[in-house]
Amino acid sequence: MGRRERDAPGVFAGLNVLELGSGAAGPVATRYLAEQGARVVRIESARRPDFLRVLFLTKDSKFGLDGSPMYVLLNPDKESVAINMAAPEGVDLVQRLVGWADVVAENFSPGVMAKWGLDWDGIRALRPDAVFVSGCLFGQTGPQRRYPGFGGQGSAIAGFNHLTGWPDREAHGPYGTITDSLSPRYVAVAVVAALLERRRTGRGRHIDLSQIEAGVYSLSEMIVRQSANGESEIRRGNRSERAAPHGVYPCRGRDQWIAIAVEDDDAWRALVAALGDPEWAHAPGLARAAGRLAREAELDRQIAAFTSAEDAPALADRLQAAGVPAGPVQDFADLLEDPQLAHRGHFVPLRHVHLGELLFERSGLRLSESPGGFERPGPNLGEHTREVLGGVLGLSDAEIADLAAHEVLV
Amino acid sequence: MLAGLRVLDLSDESGFLAGKLLGDLGADVVKLEPPGGDLVGRRAPYLRGEPGPERSLAWLALNISKRGITLDSTLDPGRPLFRGLLARADVVIEAGPAGVLDAQGLGWDTLAPDHPGLVWCSITPFGRAGPRAHWRGGDLVVVAMGGNMKVTGDPDRPPVRCSMPTAYYHAAPEAALGILMALHQREDTGRGQLVDVSLQETQLQSLLSAPGQFARQRRPLTRSGARMGRTREIWATRDGWVSFGLRGGPARVANLEATVAWMDEHGLAPEWLRAFDWKGFSHLTVPDEEIERLEQAFGAFFAKHTMRELYEQALARRILLAPCNDARELLEHPQLRSRELFVTLDSPEIGASIEHPDFFARTSDHAIGLRRRAPRIGEHNAEIYGELGLTAHDLEKLTAEGAI
Repeated sequence: MGRRERDAPGVFAGLNVLELGSGAAGPVATRYLAEQGARVVRIESARRPDFLRVLFLTKDSKFGLDGSPMYVLLNPDKESVAINMAAPEGVDLVQRLVGWADVVAENFSPGVMAKWGLDWDGIRALRPDAVFVSGCLFGQTGPQRRYPGFGGQGSAIAGFNHLTGWPDREAHGPYGTITDSLSPRYVAVAVVAALLERRRTGRGRHIDLSQIEAGVYSLSEMIVRQSANGESEIRRGNRSERAAPHGVYPCRGRDQWIAIAVEDDDAWRALVAALGDPEWAHAPGLARAAGRLAREAELDRQIAAFTSAEDAPALADRLQAAGVPAGPVQDFADLLEDPQLAHRGHFVPLRHVHLGELLFERSGLRLSESPGGFERPGPNLGEHTREVLGGVLGLSDAEIADLAAHEVLV
Repeated sequence: MLAGLRVLDLSDESGFLAGKLLGDLGADVVKLEPPGGDLVGRRAPYLRGEPGPERSLAWLALNISKRGITLDSTLDPGRPLFRGLLARADVVIEAGPAGVLDAQGLGWDTLAPDHPGLVWCSITPFGRAGPRAHWRGGDLVVVAMGGNMKVTGDPDRPPVRCSMPTAYYHAAPEAALGILMALHQREDTGRGQLVDVSLQETQLQSLLSAPGQFARQRRPLTRSGARMGRTREIWATRDGWVSFGLRGGPARVANLEATVAWMDEHGLAPEWLRAFDWKGFSHLTVPDEEIERLEQAFGAFFAKHTMRELYEQALARRILLAPCNDARELLEHPQLRSRELFVTLDSPEIGASIEHPDFFARTSDHAIGLRRRAPRIGEHNAEIYGELGLTAHDLEKLTAEGAI
């Protein structure tokens, strides 16, 4: 189901995307385009490899730069061209590929692209209607634009760490450096909006996206609350300001939990019934949110005492059937078995030449007329160099051999 | 960038940001509310703590760049208005439990045949179809079921979520992206389509391929709180927390050396630390006692400074250290200020002048940016129903009937 069907080539069939950069935030953005049939060509080099290719590399790694599961999983259906940008011939090749590209995407530190003549002026001279997106941590301008951070820093700076955890403990942020997963979506939105605009105007655009700003934009409500009321939001564990009970409760087994969110009075009545109508649930005031919020700690204790003897998935089934928003806290093994994700074809098995069968992941959106999907795992470094230089730029085998001999294609 | 596109926004809070995003891209977004206002979406906290649906800060933040009308589409006089609005719309966004509009005969399945060009985006907790399509869940439940929560938090406490609803933040741009993809395809085919977004499924991207990696090696991850693997990542300062990775690898050697040199300037780098071999340091193999000794030294240094002091020096010395900012810090942030990320919008009716993030990306002509403050209840009824040919007299009658 996850594989792209032959009769549905995807929304972006025929669209050419040239990608420079590394890490997660850049490649995840263009993965959305690849999932819908765009041809995405990545420029890489073994001289300065994408850090995801070396993330878990040890002396014992058998497949070197081609054996990183994280790289392979985040770059399905892309082509890799190895080009040494320290060689002038390498820069020339990339400039010619810009002429081929509808979209140029990069996430280097500001100034790197300009060094190769590939700032917006350079790009538009090569391809007047290009959509060019830059997506570094802090954006292309400003006093801190060269700040050398990864997603871990982005998440902290944008405010997500401060908001995640327990009020009496460290501000540690959600798992997975959230700006690395949030900002690619905004990159893709800006690119597709610019492509739509280009269909009307014939003009391209440069988009200067800061991963941190995309995070702060997402937190607009927090900014507004600070600006309007001077209220600085703080992490509250799993509690809600407006609803109670609202938390994560222990279940039977080791590290097993259920999330229960009583968002309104109907859900409270349903929960009380599902718990077997215990006496404590009839204390005065609990029928309304304000009363429940006032006695939140006590409700949490009572509910935890009940859930501790229960199996999390089975209890979630019962609570949902009764109309209470609830769900088991799922680990990665649970996700692989999740019937709803399976129904949506979330995991796409594809075989990688070195790593064997891997499970690639779809985005969270499905188009009824264009299902999309993936057909090939992330590429080996330089796997498509010959194909792209020959097929796209029309270089002969002799020319390619000559470039290779001069260490341009590494 | 999206000038000329009309979006009808029927969403609840889980989808407010999706419509705002399209509005900030220049689309004409019309937010629909029940007569009397969306009293669930216009929730607390309120401006200066005084309750009132026109003073909801969540509403002011997330329904910005939209116009607003009221309509009860389940009433007989409301139905033709809804159809009239649909006939003029390019996009509909619905967000909330699956099947609510469908049950009223106002969902995609019923209406699509009469509106072949319409792009209909449905944001639901788990997707429109499948064994859990009917399950209910807001941010807490879908973050729990999406895999992120289990690995977030301290090992000695329950799994935890972000206190702002990140599930909606992940889903909103994904919904907008699906809509834009569908509009792109409509340019070729002339036909609209359904965009089916699952809050749970969008959560999984936050794991950055960890489930796929897990499937290969079955090596379970555990919650590690303020640590990243074995070493501390979040450190106490005089006035808050900073993120600083005490991890090895060639990319971090210069960073660690620079930090020790800086500590030394303050007389806080003992001799063993000054002589420490960072090139040979690996957070994977270093003994526990060594980690403890290092963490005590770094921790003592960070604890003597404020977040700002540390960040300013980190910038100057190119050290990978970041403050765990709160909203106040962000509003004063020199980098964000220099890019004019924040803009002040006035709402004189409620005596408010509020700063908002203006854009998610910068581009020429301010093509991405806020368009107008959030609508008051029914603020644009006359304007938008006027397009359908309704007169002031008609509107009075519809108001009396409870339809608008």
